[in-house]
Amino acid sequence: MARLGLWLRWSLRDLRARWLQVAAIAVVIGLGTGAYVGLSSSSAWRHDSAAASYQELASHDLRVDLAKGTTVDADRLRAALRATEHPGWIEATTVRLLVPVQVDASRDGEPLLVSGRLVGVQLDGPGGPAVDALWSRSGRALGPSDDGRPVVVLDDHFAAEHDLRGEQELTLGGSVAVTSVGSAISPEYFVVAGDGATAGFFGARTFATMWTSLATAQEVAGLPGAADQAGVLVAPGADVAAVQAELEAALAAALPDAAVTVTPLTEQREYRRIFDDIDGDQKLFDVFALLVLGGAAFAAFNLVGRVVEAQRREIGIGMSLGVPRRSLAVRPLLFALEVSLAGVVLGVAVGWWFGTALAGLVERVLPTPVWDTAFQPAIYVRGVLLALALTFLAASWPVWRAVRVTPVEAIQVGPRATRGGGLAPLVSRLHLPGGSLGQMPVRDALRRPRRTLLTALAIAAAVGLLVGVLGILDSFVATVDAADVELSGTSPERVTATFESFEPADGPTVRAVGESAEVGRVAPFLRVGGELAAVDGRERFEALVDLLPLDDAVWRPGLVAGSYDHDRPGVLIAQKAANDLGVGVGDDVVLRHPVREGTGYRWEESALPVLGVHRDVYRGLVFMDLADASLMNLDGIVNAAQVAPVEGATHEDLQRSLFGLQGVAAVVPAGAFIEAVRSGFQQIMGVLQLVEVVALVLAVLIAFNSSSISSDERAREHATMVAFGVAPRTVVGLTMVESALVGAVATVIGLGLGAALLGWLIHVLLPSTLPDVQLDLAISPRTFLLAAGMGVVAVGLAPLLTLRRVRRMSVPDTLRAVE
Amino acid sequence: MAVISLDGVGRQFETSAGVVDALADVDLHVEEGELVVVLGPSGCGKTTLLNLVGALDAPTSGRLAVAGHDLTGISGGDLYRYRRHTVSFVFQNFNLFPGLTALENVRFGADVAGRRQGEAVAEEVLAKVGLAERATHFPAQLSGGEQQRVAIARALATGNPVLLADEPTGELDFHTGVQILGLLEAQAEAGRAVLVVTHNREISRMADRVVELSGGRVVSDGPPAGGRAPAGSLRW
Repeated sequence: MARLGLWLRWSLRDLRARWLQVAAIAVVIGLGTGAYVGLSSSSAWRHDSAAASYQELASHDLRVDLAKGTTVDADRLRAALRATEHPGWIEATTVRLLVPVQVDASRDGEPLLVSGRLVGVQLDGPGGPAVDALWSRSGRALGPSDDGRPVVVLDDHFAAEHDLRGEQELTLGGSVAVTSVGSAISPEYFVVAGDGATAGFFGARTFATMWTSLATAQEVAGLPGAADQAGVLVAPGADVAAVQAELEAALAAALPDAAVTVTPLTEQREYRRIFDDIDGDQKLFDVFALLVLGGAAFAAFNLVGRVVEAQRREIGIGMSLGVPRRSLAVRPLLFALEVSLAGVVLGVAVGWWFGTALAGLVERVLPTPVWDTAFQPAIYVRGVLLALALTFLAASWPVWRAVRVTPVEAIQVGPRATRGGGLAPLVSRLHLPGGSLGQMPVRDALRRPRRTLLTALAIAAAVGLLVGVLGILDSFVATVDAADVELSGTSPERVTATFESFEPADGPTVRAVGESAEVGRVAPFLRVGGELAAVDGRERFEALVDLLPLDDAVWRPGLVAGSYDHDRPGVLIAQKAANDLGVGVGDDVVLRHPVREGTGYRWEESALPVLGVHRDVYRGLVFMDLADASLMNLDGIVNAAQVAPVEGATHEDLQRSLFGLQGVAAVVPAGAFIEAVRSGFQQIMGVLQLVEVVALVLAVLIAFNSSSISSDERAREHATMVAFGVAPRTVVGLTMVESALVGAVATVIGLGLGAALLGWLIHVLLPSTLPDVQLDLAISPRTFLLAAGMGVVAVGLAPLLTLRRVRRMSVPDTLRAVE
Repeated sequence: MAVISLDGVGRQFETSAGVVDALADVDLHVEEGELVVVLGPSGCGKTTLLNLVGALDAPTSGRLAVAGHDLTGISGGDLYRYRRHTVSFVFQNFNLFPGLTALENVRFGADVAGRRQGEAVAEEVLAKVGLAERATHFPAQLSGGEQQRVAIARALATGNPVLLADEPTGELDFHTGVQILGLLEAQAEAGRAVLVVTHNREISRMADRVVELSGGRVVSDGPPAGGRAPAGSLRW
């Protein structure tokens, strides 16, 4: 025990003697541990908070949807919901009417015309509906007294984005004036929904969801008594799947003409997106944290290796005095443990700060009524143990090597103890510019190749982290740019006008659109929802099917394979869809689509050949020829139109012109989604910049530590140079060149590591969390420059921090020091 | 004319125990081509003297001039210039650069002194110390004596008029030490002022003059007792 006390005191003195380097390594370990526990905690918080929030707002367990554009009588729907075999298994139900609308939220001369959705809900109590309640965020909530009144509450994401919280006057469809009395969030809109298959988080800017009473929505839609959606809250203990089966049977019996689907909450896109996002983010966080911890482990390995090297003679003396090797290992191992402990203690603090900052960000971007930020002891324990194990094991290797030498090797001093040249002999015949001084940085870097490589690997981990993170952004931007080019095509100012209902291709809405001011060309088309599947059924996903007049469209998708020509109905699918379904041009796929039957619709699956593969990056976009609408029994029927402006007019002119036109539900510019995505990227830039800073700090700390240790080790060489008249700034300059060389190697390795990480993210992780979009790996010149700037310039400058030490060095004392 | 002139030079250090006089009132003059050995036991101030002449340290009193440079109150930039062009060192523990070959170590001396044709100078000097065949070897591949010869060659490659050697044989065996002393002797004969500090009285026999220090003061200054002996005749 007394001996352990001695080792402990001695190791603490070692720690104190190198406190600056120890502090730097501790910060690196702290950043890694902190990143891991902080990010993991935020995932746990998001998970717990989302689950609790669904419960808090009495979210439905099952949702009943009618085919797009169709409605049934609300009372019939309610009755059908009650007509299940076991009504006691259902705790509550609610019916809704979703009305696509155009919203004019212009204020103070600032135009704001967007597409939106009016959700008519039952106002069962002060919180709105009993199922899928509204969480009021500003202003007041809807209550029973608002039934039938022109009063709405805005989706809080949209209200916050456009500073529309509080009372606002809005115009719907050009003529209906409503008052927004507040803003709210409902379970289905935790992650912002937009319109169509490309909806998502980025819809906050361009899509306005509003809640109002069911009666008000019916009046705005001109559909008295109608509903097209219902939410069902299953009683505690009841089996959701069993209730779903009973509901499907009851609805089929009560509403035989309606195309109805019943979907469990857990299979709904909005719900899945929340939890999939959390799981996907966590995988990403794990990789980031492991990269930082990997860098820390390399750095700890370096530090302990050099400390052990400095203790070489003491270890040798111990050996010659008969101290067992395992006892000799105690002191450096204790040192390693103390460094690791200092790091993880710091990591706990960094993790708490990091988690809190991230939680604040998530809460701002994706607010939920319950936000549980409880301390996550299991995550902290796991993170601390992981960091301790990783860094301690990394540090144990040089200790193990040090105590395996013979005493005579360890104790040797004088000329024989001078260390070898490593790989330096390899370049001894290579003539480098700058005379002997010019040779030194390269020779010194190669003198200890293993150590140089470890330093480079530690810095490479930071560079890899930077490249990986920024590469995601680059890949997104490249994808969006490609989508922009494809969607804009030859008609970038066109808009898509969605109609309130189906009508003949020469119907009144199409005519009215064609006769409006600023309209150049109109190409009516049919847009329906559906699913695309492989013939063997192993892959299936949602699809948005646009049936365009392919020979006469304002815009049609560009093809990378196949052609528009066909002699029987077929589909044009995205490259991502073709890859996921494992098909090519000429192969069959299965399209699940609505078929008009009587006054309603039914779902049908048709095997159709792939006519072509289009360029769009979104997997769910499917195109067909309008002439093939007979497949859906919708010959000559349309519900949307591509509209191109007259020459010189813009999409904004078109929007103003078509806004409020009878029968037009929404007017969306071709580039709206792209703009929304770009705007969304601006929001996450702050987070990415934070990662940039962390990576930079990491690289500089590792480089500083390496320089600082080298400065200690080479003190005599530096003193010799100074004795020969070399100025300290030149001495440090040589170290900077060496550091920059190591940084350059690290940058190359880091770029490779970052590209590999990015490849894994793009090709493995993101396809499972973002399956609908085809992302192509891209690293922008900016990322290359930043990586090089950090890896070479910042790392090269790190030795400047040792200039003061070199200046203040006592040359005589240093020169006379032996070991 | 004296190349090295110390007049009433003192060097005090402040320690926790008070002010210590490492050197006090030292007068010393060394001519061109003269080999002077500064002799004394450990702690007598001989290394402090060498550091002052080498401008690694500054006197706290008196006047110190080397090769026409007044080192009393000399500025930082001039100090580095002085070291590059006036003095060169040979250290007890050689202090070679382990990442450079023998030839490159020697070339370092020529390069920092700003000599043209540094490579050729280095080759010539390395040949002079008998190590032409070891030019591409790294220090770790050389014996102690060879390393010290490389260190001397590095000092010679500067072409500077003053050579300062601090216990140059301290790490070497007798035979190798004698070889090294022979080299130093040759430098004095070539016209350099050579100042060697040592605690080995036998080495002082090869000097033109022996300056003995004790307690930081010069206690004797004159030719070696019994006359000057060639380096090859020394025994210890």
